[in-house]
Amino acid sequence: MLAWLIAAEVMVQAAAIVYAIAGLGIWIDQDGGVLDKATMESEGTPFPEIVGFMIHGLNGQMIIPVLALILMIVSFFAKVPGGVKWAGFVLLAVVVQVLLGMFLHEVSALGMLHGINALILFGLAAMAGVRAHRFSKTERANAASTERELV
Amino acid sequence: MILACLATAVIVVPLGWLWWSSLMPDEYSVLDMGYVDLGGGPDVDAMDMAGSGHAGMSQGDHGTDHEIDTSTLVGDTRGTPDVRLDLTAREGSFELASGREVSGYTLNGSSPGPTLHATQGDLVEVRLTNADVANGITLHWHGLDVPNAMDGVAGVTQDAVREGETFTYRFVADRAGTYWYHSHQVSHEQVRRGLFGGIVIRPAGTEETVDSPTLDVPALVHLYDGVRTVNGHEGDLRVPARPGTVARVRLVNTDNGPMTAWVSGASYRVLAVDGTDLNQPGEVSGKKLVVTAGGRADLEVVVPANGTRVELGGNALVLGPAGSEPAKTEAPRTLFDPLTYGQSAPTGIDPAKADRRFDYVIGRRPGFLDGRPGLWWTINGHLWPDVPMYTVSRGDLVTMRIENSSSDVHPMHLHGHHALVLNRDGKPSTGSPWWVDSLNVLPGETYVIAFRANNPGVWMDHCHNLPHAAEGLVAHLMYAGYTTPFKVGGEDRNEPE
Repeated sequence: MLAWLIAAEVMVQAAAIVYAIAGLGIWIDQDGGVLDKATMESEGTPFPEIVGFMIHGLNGQMIIPVLALILMIVSFFAKVPGGVKWAGFVLLAVVVQVLLGMFLHEVSALGMLHGINALILFGLAAMAGVRAHRFSKTERANAASTERELV
Repeated sequence: MILACLATAVIVVPLGWLWWSSLMPDEYSVLDMGYVDLGGGPDVDAMDMAGSGHAGMSQGDHGTDHEIDTSTLVGDTRGTPDVRLDLTAREGSFELASGREVSGYTLNGSSPGPTLHATQGDLVEVRLTNADVANGITLHWHGLDVPNAMDGVAGVTQDAVREGETFTYRFVADRAGTYWYHSHQVSHEQVRRGLFGGIVIRPAGTEETVDSPTLDVPALVHLYDGVRTVNGHEGDLRVPARPGTVARVRLVNTDNGPMTAWVSGASYRVLAVDGTDLNQPGEVSGKKLVVTAGGRADLEVVVPANGTRVELGGNALVLGPAGSEPAKTEAPRTLFDPLTYGQSAPTGIDPAKADRRFDYVIGRRPGFLDGRPGLWWTINGHLWPDVPMYTVSRGDLVTMRIENSSSDVHPMHLHGHHALVLNRDGKPSTGSPWWVDSLNVLPGETYVIAFRANNPGVWMDHCHNLPHAAEGLVAHLMYAGYTTPFKVGGEDRNEPE
């Protein structure tokens, strides 16, 4: 479930940033808005979609890394085969993604990798989720068959 | 199971330790922050601030009997003030000059507050009353090198002025030029929401006359909730001017990020930067000018027959005869560079004879700031509050290398001093002497500046993108032998950033 939550968060990230950029475009085209550094730093809401940038930043720098850490910790206790490995992959992809997010402000080409790595992270998190789900299903089935045998 | 617990501990314990050790005490003196940096100069006695304990704070009491209390540094302000201004701060919603309703703060019922006009040499008295601003307020005289006790930084040079209280600032307006004042209590929020105003100090003997052929226009640019205004007006601000009028436009960037300005329909001269006149400024055309956050630039524009527009990033100051509609132009691509503008002149600063050479290297890394996880700014690789305490002796010639190795621009502001730009990325300043109090340092850039330590006290040296200051981009310049009685936090809830 936790891994799927991370995958869902990646979707939120993609949705939020595109929503914000769309709003920015409309603001510039239709309202003659001017975006410069002073505007970016004004903490104001010149257009409502600007909230997308905030969500993207907060989610990406705080919530997703915390979720990835919790997933890592949970994987130590859950006896999912390869679970630690998959949680590790997810955490690694998150770290890479945050670093890319930081450094794309210096090297714009890293923005491309940030976009691509988002898909990789989504895939890894979804895979981890599927594995955990399968495992808990077989666990339940095993438990049920054990019960039947006991009966 | 044991392995799982151990693995968890490997992740959680270091994080918990980092979190715990970043927590700040409820009350602290900025003098206890970080570590002493002597800049390669001689050691100074009465300074015993080395060592770092809890959250980069050194332990123990450093006050000694022979240290001078900075609250006594008020300058010579005897006599009757030449200029008196009473300012009353209020919190709530108010109307901008444009009619838009904004929630924030006002001074005497408006934001920006009234412009403080004075003549060089005037004794100025400002009585600041806090009517109902719950967090308390102060006023800092941005760019005026006032004595330390008048600098208006809550928790460093005074206590925040609480509701119902009044604080009187007195100082001599010893420099002509364009400045501004703003609150330095919870400044990242109070300035953005309106607690500021302009300061214009004319050179002695140049009082404005009714039929003066020149025009003097302060232009305070500010974003209220994302809406850009000039002197509180949205859109274009029209100033009637006869063709041929020589206008001095005083640009003041009161925002948190740099702004660009350029002129449509006329060339311009840059008369002054940060309140200091430039030497033999030449004509500029086809270039845009960056005014950094907190910075000022005085432009001279001769009004053409059909008027001119001083473009301010979407807004404009329109100077011209009634009915003139000067055409708008796009921002030029070329940047005006003060490094090579105007003619050089003696400065009285010989960097080879510097007594102390400091580094102020700005970086960024993940960590905890007073318990909050995030990506925070670093100074010389250290997270706040474990930052350098730049320590000087009175009279020292100081150079400072400001290097921006982060990915964001930083408008660096040193209180109480004007610094001379020596070079940028090794390229020496060959134009007019370029004195700054607010310097735009772009990612990857390195500036070397120099100043004379001739204004004793404890001075903030911080990023004027004020939220950055609240995120740890703050250090202090400290004069040996001085101490401040004021504390950050505590009963007065001083919170300078």
